Amino acid sequence: MSEQIDDLIKSHYAAGFVTDIESDTLPPGLNADVIRFISAKKNEPEWMLEWRLKAYRAWLEMVEPHWAHVSYPDIDFNAMSYFSAPKRDEDRPQSLDEVDPKLRETYDKLGIPLHEQEMLAGVAVDAVFDSVSVGTTFRKKLYEAGVIFCSISEALQDHPELVRQHLGTVVPQKDNYYAALNSAVFSDGSFVYIPKGVKCPMELSTYFRINEAKTGQFERTLIVADEGSEVSYLEGCTAPMRDENQLHAAVVELVALDNAKIKYSTVQNWYPGDEEGKGGIYNFVTKRGVAHTNAHISWTQVETGSAITMKYPSCVLKGDNSIGEFYSVALSSNFQQADTGTKMIHLGKNTRSTIISKGIAAGHGSNTYRGLVRMNPGATGARNYTRCDSLLIGDQCGAHTFPYIESKNPTAIIEHEASTSKVSDEQLFLCRQRGIGEEKAVSMIVNGFCKEVFRELPMEFAVEAGKLLEVSLEGAVG
Amino acid sequence: MSDFIAEALQMVPAEAPDWLSEQRRRGWSSWKSSSMPTRKTEDWKYTRLRALEEGAYLDRAECQDPSSPALTALRDQIHITGLDARMLVFVNGFYSPELSSGEVVGNMEVVLFSEADETQVETIRSHLGTVADRDKYMFTALNDSWLNDGVFVHVKQDRKVTTPLHVIWLTVPQREAFSLSQRLLVVMEAGSEATVVEHFASNEAQQNSFTNGVSELVLAANARLCHYRLHLEEEHALHIGGVHARLDRDARLNSFHLGLGSILKRLDVVVRHEGEGAHCDLNGIYLPRHSQHIDYHTCIEHVRPHCTTKEVFRGIISDNARAVFNGRIHIHPDAQKTVAELRNKNLLTSNKAEVDTKPELEIYADDVKCAHGATVAQLDDYALYYLCSRGIAREHAQVMLSTGFINELINNLQHPSLGEYLKPVLGGLFAQQVTQTERAE
Repeated sequence: MSEQIDDLIKSHYAAGFVTDIESDTLPPGLNADVIRFISAKKNEPEWMLEWRLKAYRAWLEMVEPHWAHVSYPDIDFNAMSYFSAPKRDEDRPQSLDEVDPKLRETYDKLGIPLHEQEMLAGVAVDAVFDSVSVGTTFRKKLYEAGVIFCSISEALQDHPELVRQHLGTVVPQKDNYYAALNSAVFSDGSFVYIPKGVKCPMELSTYFRINEAKTGQFERTLIVADEGSEVSYLEGCTAPMRDENQLHAAVVELVALDNAKIKYSTVQNWYPGDEEGKGGIYNFVTKRGVAHTNAHISWTQVETGSAITMKYPSCVLKGDNSIGEFYSVALSSNFQQADTGTKMIHLGKNTRSTIISKGIAAGHGSNTYRGLVRMNPGATGARNYTRCDSLLIGDQCGAHTFPYIESKNPTAIIEHEASTSKVSDEQLFLCRQRGIGEEKAVSMIVNGFCKEVFRELPMEFAVEAGKLLEVSLEGAVG
Repeated sequence: MSDFIAEALQMVPAEAPDWLSEQRRRGWSSWKSSSMPTRKTEDWKYTRLRALEEGAYLDRAECQDPSSPALTALRDQIHITGLDARMLVFVNGFYSPELSSGEVVGNMEVVLFSEADETQVETIRSHLGTVADRDKYMFTALNDSWLNDGVFVHVKQDRKVTTPLHVIWLTVPQREAFSLSQRLLVVMEAGSEATVVEHFASNEAQQNSFTNGVSELVLAANARLCHYRLHLEEEHALHIGGVHARLDRDARLNSFHLGLGSILKRLDVVVRHEGEGAHCDLNGIYLPRHSQHIDYHTCIEHVRPHCTTKEVFRGIISDNARAVFNGRIHIHPDAQKTVAELRNKNLLTSNKAEVDTKPELEIYADDVKCAHGATVAQLDDYALYYLCSRGIAREHAQVMLSTGFINELINNLQHPSLGEYLKPVLGGLFAQQVTQTERAE
């Protein structure tokens, strides 16, 4: 059976092509000068450079974490380039029409053509190609609503006070090894500010893509939802096929002030490596949100790519009555390894959190859910519900669950449930009996398994996610 | 090297049977190369060993006079009416023939390591240390290095022993804080059946002992063992130890654990399913209060296919106490058709109490059914209201509900007489809490 699976799990990586554009890449290596170069290149204020250098010094003192249930050769941080920007520094395109046609072709191949999305009305795309934001659409429309949606380097020029006020408040420079590295060298990312009481008129969207060989991608996203505002943010990621590993260490910070609501959705489809496990992206991301009184933060993620994923989108439920949610589908096939989950830190009264995690392991994949639910002494009346299910396809894969539950408040209620099973023979038989092919049947069952999470995704992403899963699982049935 | 590690090495007992020296030497070197766990050590994340390091448990255990009134009074306390067991009593680690009682049961061999004959020594040597992994569990290494005696229980093929064996480890305070080690090896040959009750108790005086206890259970094909481990020591008695079991084909282990808290109590329960069709029922209760700390780490290793596990642990954490539970189920690559289930329920009854629970699943085989669940909550408000509305004082209603929460497990014990023995002990505990709250009010 396993041979059959090995033969069959040859999911075609549809996004694997290289766009040949001249880019302005820094030679590999990391030192204080590299950071100064990045900072100068982006014409950053002095405090920002200091902030980066502080992070760099902290990073030098830190050790790489090895507690996750993944294994990979040591990363040589000096063999990697920390800046790669498409060469068009002076005349950055102002509208889509000015975007390099080759770039746009890239997006076309990815199936997210910008012009089509423009027509889809309601989706504005801030595309991060390698590390610099290339084109931001719908900026004007958003501007009228008072929403600021731009790259973080632009925000540093235009709204430095806002950035300075919030940057690093959720994920401090010294938070962890990769967050420190990101703080030191981040090249770009998105910045969103929703003013008081504004409901963002459209869904905001970013697409990340690593294009240059031997580059790391370190983007930094900061979303601030002021009191009573609402925003939904989508993020997608892809990378071309390469046979060496590339590092992606991003930081995402969400600030939901009183009564605000942030919904953050991710479809992650970084290159997962080939059938032998060669190449692929190391996806080590720190994502965290702080919810103030009555605020609501919701994370939804569909993780099908990356050779190795370590990612724990978290919510700090600081204000009373705040809500945190985490919905996740993580698929690891071939030799992919994923160690992902969430943290829900309950600080305020009557805070509530829901965790729904669906892990699918196929081939030689290893899929780990690692979560933390903590009720602090002040979390009176807090409530958590966690459900994590794992599905195993093939006898060479592994599925693991490591939930940490810590309670210091007797009135808090925590429920955790987990189950692991395979696609049952009975279910398959039922479908086959009704004339449904085996592959289609498995795909149906898997889609049903993930339904609770897909329901949370914005419509067009839900369709994409379903398709991604289908492609990734192609032939995974033996 | 941390102080305690060096100090413990000084305490290696001088006298021991020659044939144990190899085991002791290995334990010694493994302990010597270990380092004290920190907050970053995953297995000890929530349990600090400060009490052990500060307590200076440097004295050796001494043989106590069995006729002292403290001990004779204790003897009645530890006797379980209706269990009809053969009692084997140890005081501060020393066997006490005066306190022990019961017939020598013909088909169950029970000897001290130091008194074992040649064939018995052979059996002991071939099993001792093969179940408890000294490199993985550092306090097993310490136990190995301190090894000078222990209890060997051997049931021959197809023998069914109906009389339970009741092994009691008593501690009474000594002048200076002291350490003692306890070791038990149970070898069940194919098709045999037996019951072993491990019972840790102390007199009511404030204890100053640190017990390092390791029990190894070896179950050959089709063997059945009913095992109890009761920790009822006074709250100043430190205990770090574990139960390690290995099950062969179609063997069945029924293991029940009860732990009252102490300033530091840590127990590792490890069961390895090494034969197809093995089954394990693992149940436990932990009841820390005051400023106690209790830590149960259970680990079920499913190495072979078609094995099953059912595990239920429940805890009530009151006052300033802290409970740690870590329940791990590990399914190895070949262990297809495994069915394993783990449930952990916790009640927090005070604002200062804390529980840290982590049910873990690690699965490398696809055709398995595994599930775990954990809850942390307080007593159901509606149930309390119901009782109060019928004229029952709130505190008493709380006791009734807490007792009910625990009794679900106690009532299902295979030996009801044990349940009858435990109920008043636990009832007394809850009642004490009521008087305390009443006094506080």
